[in-house]
Amino acid sequence: MTETRMYPGTGKDERTTFAPYSAFDIPQDLRELHGRYDVETTARRVRNFRYAEEWMMMMLGGWLATVPEVPVKTGLGKIIWEGARAADEFGKRLPELRCGKRAAESSEAGNQAFADFIQEVAAPETPDLSIEKLAGVFDVLKPHLLGLYERHMRETDQIADAPTIEILEDIARKTERHIAWGHEVLDRLCDTDAKRQRRHARQRELTELLEKSGGVTGELALDH
Amino acid sequence: MKRFIEHQELARDRRFIRQANIAADLLATMPDDVNAVVDLFEKIGPVIEAGTRGTAAEPLYDRFGPAFTLMTLNEPIRPGEPGTEDRLKMRMHGIYVGELQALEGAGRSLWDFPDAPWEFKMNMARQCWDEARHVQIFEKLLEHVGGEVGMYAESTFLFEAACADDPALRVAGVNRALEGLACDVFRDNIEFAKQSDDELMEQSMDYVLADELTHVRFGSEWVAEFCKDDPERLKRARDFRRETDRRFNFGGARSNEEGAAIPIAWEDRKFAGFTEEELEDLAALGGEGPSRATMKQAIEILVSRFQAGSAIDEEVAS
Repeated sequence: MTETRMYPGTGKDERTTFAPYSAFDIPQDLRELHGRYDVETTARRVRNFRYAEEWMMMMLGGWLATVPEVPVKTGLGKIIWEGARAADEFGKRLPELRCGKRAAESSEAGNQAFADFIQEVAAPETPDLSIEKLAGVFDVLKPHLLGLYERHMRETDQIADAPTIEILEDIARKTERHIAWGHEVLDRLCDTDAKRQRRHARQRELTELLEKSGGVTGELALDH
Repeated sequence: MKRFIEHQELARDRRFIRQANIAADLLATMPDDVNAVVDLFEKIGPVIEAGTRGTAAEPLYDRFGPAFTLMTLNEPIRPGEPGTEDRLKMRMHGIYVGELQALEGAGRSLWDFPDAPWEFKMNMARQCWDEARHVQIFEKLLEHVGGEVGMYAESTFLFEAACADDPALRVAGVNRALEGLACDVFRDNIEFAKQSDDELMEQSMDYVLADELTHVRFGSEWVAEFCKDDPERLKRARDFRRETDRRFNFGGARSNEEGAAIPIAWEDRKFAGFTEEELEDLAALGGEGPSRATMKQAIEILVSRFQAGSAIDEEVAS
């Protein structure tokens, strides 16, 4: 006669010394359901974020040739790659938000005014305009994006939209590093009052345009 | 910011001196004739001289005249041979500015072709980071061999030759011709580093070579993708790459001949997607133009004439 078959750990010679697993040992999940953005809104915002990251890395690529400072060229090389990866991660999230498989490569400006703003950030061309080029990206555009990324992470559904939060966490961390690098470079480049004024003038001019456009999602006025 | 720029628009800081690379351009069209090479280099001597003034190459020009460019191009770099130290610095400096131009070329591909497929943009963005690291690596390697940035003039002819307005031609020029040349030079330098017991150079160059193979593969794949169902465009891309390769042969200095200054990295290129047929064609291109023996004879004549002229000048002056 065969012995009764038992579950592992329950035989008389297999006694465990630890307490049995209990759901009551897990700390209570304090997160709450429901956030500020529904699926459609998050999908649109992710497309908007992707648009900004994609255009930013493209314009930085264009500037590599016309920025004379070698450490700036090499520093931008890595930021371009991280920008492309950010856009790629946003793109991968889109099919998960009911946008279809093809949506992974789609970007969308929040509105025409933001698209125009991006072209204005990209406008400086000649080698004597490194301050204007970098101020546009590192004093205005990236800080604006960082603010919105952090806000989205705070305000979206913490459990249901966790995959977006996960993507944003990584991108926000890198964006913070980019801004710190950009500020260090700009502080070095702006070594006279005249140059510091150029930086501030560019910052003011673009911030005004950005606010008028409503920002990357076109909803800046509503967000405040 | 406009799309497409000229090579003269590449921005540099004040350490850099710009020089037109007419020697490499003209060598690409020269016959295998000693007198023709001598005549050419005597004619362009003043331009070569101007490019050396204020740089570490000035004493080399003063000693050998316009032939010094041929001497640095034509002979392989071997440890312990006369002039190796200077030639190694010149090569490292040449690679450094080449990486800078490759970085700029990859970056411009992002801006110049905004409607390109997303995967293409990802590849170019990755290449920007890789080339940026290569610039940093070669700045350190240049210091490692006793050199510094700006010690020699920079010619932007790599960017000029490789950056076309059609993305299929651009990747054929930058990713297959320019990066292919980089594979040849790095494989040769890895051999040099092994012979010199220079592990630092050998290891870092090997990493760079691995990156370059990836970039050539990007080029091989994108030429095929951009030109699928368009045999005319494919032919234009192939012709463009071939013409760029002809210019990058430096009159036969890069070839598959025994004792070539820059041997073709056959196996590395195959790994990166070059076909046997393309490699045979590249080897045939390297066989065009002046042979190594012709160049050697031309160098002897040019140096002896230059030194005789200098001696007369000194006599007249005294």
